[in-house]
Amino acid sequence: MHPLERLIDLVALLLNSRRPLTFDEIRTLIPAYQQDDHAAAKRMFERDKDVLKEVGIPIELAATDVWDVEQGYRIPRERYYLPDAGFTADEVWALFVAAHAPEESGEAEYAFRKLSAATDPNVLSAMAERTAAPGVDASGPYLGAIADAVSRGRSIRFRYRPAQGKPGDRHLDPYSLVFRGGNWYVVGLDRVRGEVRSFRLSRMTSGIKETGKSSPPPLGFSASAHLAAGPWGLGEPQQKATVAFSPDVAWMAIGSTPGISILRSRPDGWVVTEMPAGPTDAFVSWILSFGPDAEVVGPRQIRHEVTERLTALSGAPA
Amino acid sequence: MPKAARARPPNEERRPRRAAKAADRLRRLLVIVPYVVQHPGSSLAELAQLFEADENELLEDLNLLFMSGLPPYGPGDLIDVDVSEGRVWIGMADYFGRPVRLTHSEALALYLKGKALLGAPGLEEAAALRSALEKLERVLGPDLLEGLTGRVEVGAGAHGARNLAAVRRAAERRERVEIEYYTAARGELTTRRIDPEHVFSAMGNWYVVAWDLKSNEERLFRADRIRSAETTGERFRARGLVGAGRPLYTRTERDIPVRLLLGPGARWVTEYYETEDVHRREDGSVEATLPTKDLPWLAKLVLRLGGEAAVLDPPELAEMVRRTAQETLARYRSKG
Repeated sequence: MHPLERLIDLVALLLNSRRPLTFDEIRTLIPAYQQDDHAAAKRMFERDKDVLKEVGIPIELAATDVWDVEQGYRIPRERYYLPDAGFTADEVWALFVAAHAPEESGEAEYAFRKLSAATDPNVLSAMAERTAAPGVDASGPYLGAIADAVSRGRSIRFRYRPAQGKPGDRHLDPYSLVFRGGNWYVVGLDRVRGEVRSFRLSRMTSGIKETGKSSPPPLGFSASAHLAAGPWGLGEPQQKATVAFSPDVAWMAIGSTPGISILRSRPDGWVVTEMPAGPTDAFVSWILSFGPDAEVVGPRQIRHEVTERLTALSGAPA
Repeated sequence: MPKAARARPPNEERRPRRAAKAADRLRRLLVIVPYVVQHPGSSLAELAQLFEADENELLEDLNLLFMSGLPPYGPGDLIDVDVSEGRVWIGMADYFGRPVRLTHSEALALYLKGKALLGAPGLEEAAALRSALEKLERVLGPDLLEGLTGRVEVGAGAHGARNLAAVRRAAERRERVEIEYYTAARGELTTRRIDPEHVFSAMGNWYVVAWDLKSNEERLFRADRIRSAETTGERFRARGLVGAGRPLYTRTERDIPVRLLLGPGARWVTEYYETEDVHRREDGSVEATLPTKDLPWLAKLVLRLGGEAAVLDPPELAEMVRRTAQETLARYRSKG
């Protein structure tokens, strides 16, 4: 008998049985385990059990009756079936896009297939024909393993190649994962340095090794606060700023800035806009990246910061 | 009735295969069966497409399913599989009518990919994706995502692109588009026809990988710098260009090696761009070489680093930065 057939029989039996079944009971019911050599049959059953676990089927050991004399196997229905999440068609599509974003992960595609079993076939076929799913790069091969360690509170070791300095081993209590500026970071307690550090996953040069229990993150821990400043644009919005853009770039700033609105157009073609602004440094940097094509009108403190920096850069005495 | 009473499929001779393969086939079958139970009469071709399986393999698996069921494996106990005229019906398998729950790694992979996509701004599907991930958390939470919810942060503040949806659609349909593209370094708007193959987000920006008919070469375009995108009605054949994961910058012999001195607030430059000969000075600042094709672009980068970076070499770049700063400052001075 083909192993696949035997496996399906085993799942079907345990899923339908009203009580846990001992191996000997299973053996009398499924012909595939009925070879003469009991030990060989048991070994085969053990291997099959491992396969079921690998595939994600919850096979449990439980007492076969209230007297607790014998232990048997069962697959509890409430743990076997995927609960219905009630996704809308738009949500199914969004999950499809996420699951099929490039960067190898057959796992995510499997997840999607299970979640979309109830979806209209026409909708699914139409999706499968849409070939070019947009991607997000740079998760690297270790994201899943690290997320797993974070979720189970495990301490980890890995090799790391920093942008400056020598590559070396790191020992980390991972607190959080952060996706920022197109990269995944793991933030946690560096056990050697004794302080919170962030590590970019794409700079890891080895897989991770779990080394035991991790310390829990401190109360109110915010991973983003521990990431080095970067070019991530506007930052979390804290105030409104008024900015004028030259006709050359106005369309671009307007098209790419969330929450921006146009206040008016000036006779010289410049467009005056209002937008949410983040922490001053990040915002000022972003404005400066437009060079002479952008001008902060207000608030005064941001405008002042911009002119300060420009004065320093222009080589003129302040 | 003994199990073997059912006729075995003719291609049975080619077996047995290695047991390792059985896990993959079981896994696949346990997603296909619920789908067919819920959508009776699905076509084989459609199933093969949806589940990325070979039609013959699929048929083999369905034939094995047909031999399976519940003890004592009589005609009333076996799963009913009916394949006729390329369509599939499965009966007597209500217990396989709903899919098995996600494995830990499936749940993690989908959840994290979804989160990452949310971190790429301007995606049409963002709202639907956000609510889908919330439902996923709710449904899987206790078992699979516990310990992770609240510990995955997605940074805000990156930029979208107004023509993102249009170029995505063109890439999906393999449609040639005419774009107006802004080259930031030269402050120049050009019109060109492109064959867009991939759209991906990297470093907080959306990029379009396309064949550029103007230069007749492969080009990487920043989506936010596409001012307009009009379909031409022409279709193209994909050339197999590389999408996400490709380097954003390709070195050439014409590159100018720019030497920068970076203060603490500009240290991210070495993380973000391909830099070389990175040295740490005593005072903690960092020297690095950043090769570029494009000095005006680098002048704007230095401007943006606003005093946290100084140009060590070449001198004409230092001069360019000064000039651009003066020019920008003039706007502020003229209106007080």
